[in-house]
Amino acid sequence: MSALELRGVTYKYDDGTLALKDFSLLVERSEKVAIVGPNGAGKSTLLNLLAGFRMPFSGKVLIEGRELTEENADELRREVGLVFQDPDDQIFMPTVEEDVAFGPRNLGLDDIEGRVKLALRSAGIESLAKRRPHRLSHGMKKRVAIAGILAMDPKTLLLDEPTSGLDPRARAELIKLLKGMDKTMLIATHDLEAAAEMVDRVVVLNVSVVTQGTMREVVMSREVLRDAGLELPTVSKLFDMVSGMGYPVESLPVSMDQAVSEFTRVIEREAKLMGEKRGRKNRGKQRSPDGD
Amino acid sequence: MLVAHVRGHGVLREADKGEKTSWFWRLDPRAKIAGIFAFVVVTALLTTPEAVVLALASAIVLSAASGVHAKRLIIAYATAFPFIALASISIFLFSGTERGMTMLARTSSCVMPLLVLALGTDTFDLFTGLRRLKVPGMITTLLMLTFRFLLLLSDEYERMKLSRRARGFRGGRSILDKYGFRVLSSTAGMVLVRASARADRVYEGLKCKAFRKDMIPWKISSLRPVDLVFLLTLAIVATTLAIAQCGVLT
Repeated sequence: MSALELRGVTYKYDDGTLALKDFSLLVERSEKVAIVGPNGAGKSTLLNLLAGFRMPFSGKVLIEGRELTEENADELRREVGLVFQDPDDQIFMPTVEEDVAFGPRNLGLDDIEGRVKLALRSAGIESLAKRRPHRLSHGMKKRVAIAGILAMDPKTLLLDEPTSGLDPRARAELIKLLKGMDKTMLIATHDLEAAAEMVDRVVVLNVSVVTQGTMREVVMSREVLRDAGLELPTVSKLFDMVSGMGYPVESLPVSMDQAVSEFTRVIEREAKLMGEKRGRKNRGKQRSPDGD
Repeated sequence: MLVAHVRGHGVLREADKGEKTSWFWRLDPRAKIAGIFAFVVVTALLTTPEAVVLALASAIVLSAASGVHAKRLIIAYATAFPFIALASISIFLFSGTERGMTMLARTSSCVMPLLVLALGTDTFDLFTGLRRLKVPGMITTLLMLTFRFLLLLSDEYERMKLSRRARGFRGGRSILDKYGFRVLSSTAGMVLVRASARADRVYEGLKCKAFRKDMIPWKISSLRPVDLVFLLTLAIVATTLAIAQCGVLT
């Protein structure tokens, strides 16, 4: 059974704006999928549909194999934890630990103390337990919001623009944190670089699915990305330029790790070619005195 | 921002640190609320000048001993004073100076301990205390959420104000400046629009955390001997005031 499934979902806003059209998606358990697309592509609407805050105009939404309806939305919402783009919309209590305990207490779960500790540790904010959340930085507030959802132990995490508004350090730390989590994740973002580091699969969305595949596959279809209003990750752009200069780049890397191995490959290949060239030259030189 | 508006402008943050270690700050919020409300109710019923003077003296002693920063208390009192004066003005006009002064002293004796309670207690602790004193959850939850999001809205208003100034807006200082007023009213309207959008998101945020009706505090303190001593002291003061009112002391 898949964790999330959308079958031919169409959603229209009251003013007639079409947010999603005939959208289908299957997310397996423990899979991490990024939904990328420009502003207004329907990413946040999709997450709201999955969290049961909106009902599709047509099509079906299935959470853990069960169809989501208005009647069971509250119940199924326990299976998916939605982390909002703005953490201030999701933090209510006066201290961090109280806020993290808020969800499990509402659900009537046991061992709240243990759950809070575990969630704080998972989000890397144990030391902030007694702090006032509204006095924390944006990055830390994001972590508090994530911890608050983790404490409810949902099977799937839905993250709306998790890296937006973060400074480079906070962004890198959050990426590392999410990458290390063993949970099914659906991440809506327009940050391709962050997505490249975190997910197994990417779906390019612009009201309906434009293309999907691994990040490396997606960045190779540059035209599609450009049409969808998305920019290649910086590292991919660099290799695109290197390829344009005549160096043999097999595929565009999307993360630093991939870039390092691709660079190593290019350098080794070039060194080998140079070595062969030099060898041929030397052999030529050696042959010419015998010939004279 | 809002905290500054409520709790006195331009007050240094260092003042907070001293307050948060004071004996009054560390009291259980229930003891503070119950003790001060009892004092205020008894004071509000006093009519004789002697009893009212005694109540005023008690209120001043409580304010001085509470450890609440004097400057903050004075600013807060000054903000409340027009309302206090308004309550006494008709008595001054129609019943004479003595009764007017008594009214002024009585109102001040009620307001001062309430200000000490508000300034000497963390706002969320205050709501938690009210909830634990069996005030309906609907009311305390609304108060908590309102306070939490008033702070956010105040931040939003501050940002819009800065943005206005950054774009050269200097209007709204004269009542004849129609353009200035138009800009100010559209800013206020925009804050309300944003407030409404945020309210929707907050509601969804609450639903995400399986919220039903009540925000019950998780970690709660228990009454300690010092809380009981505080309650007992205020009970003695209230009883003394009641006795003074009955004329036994005179």
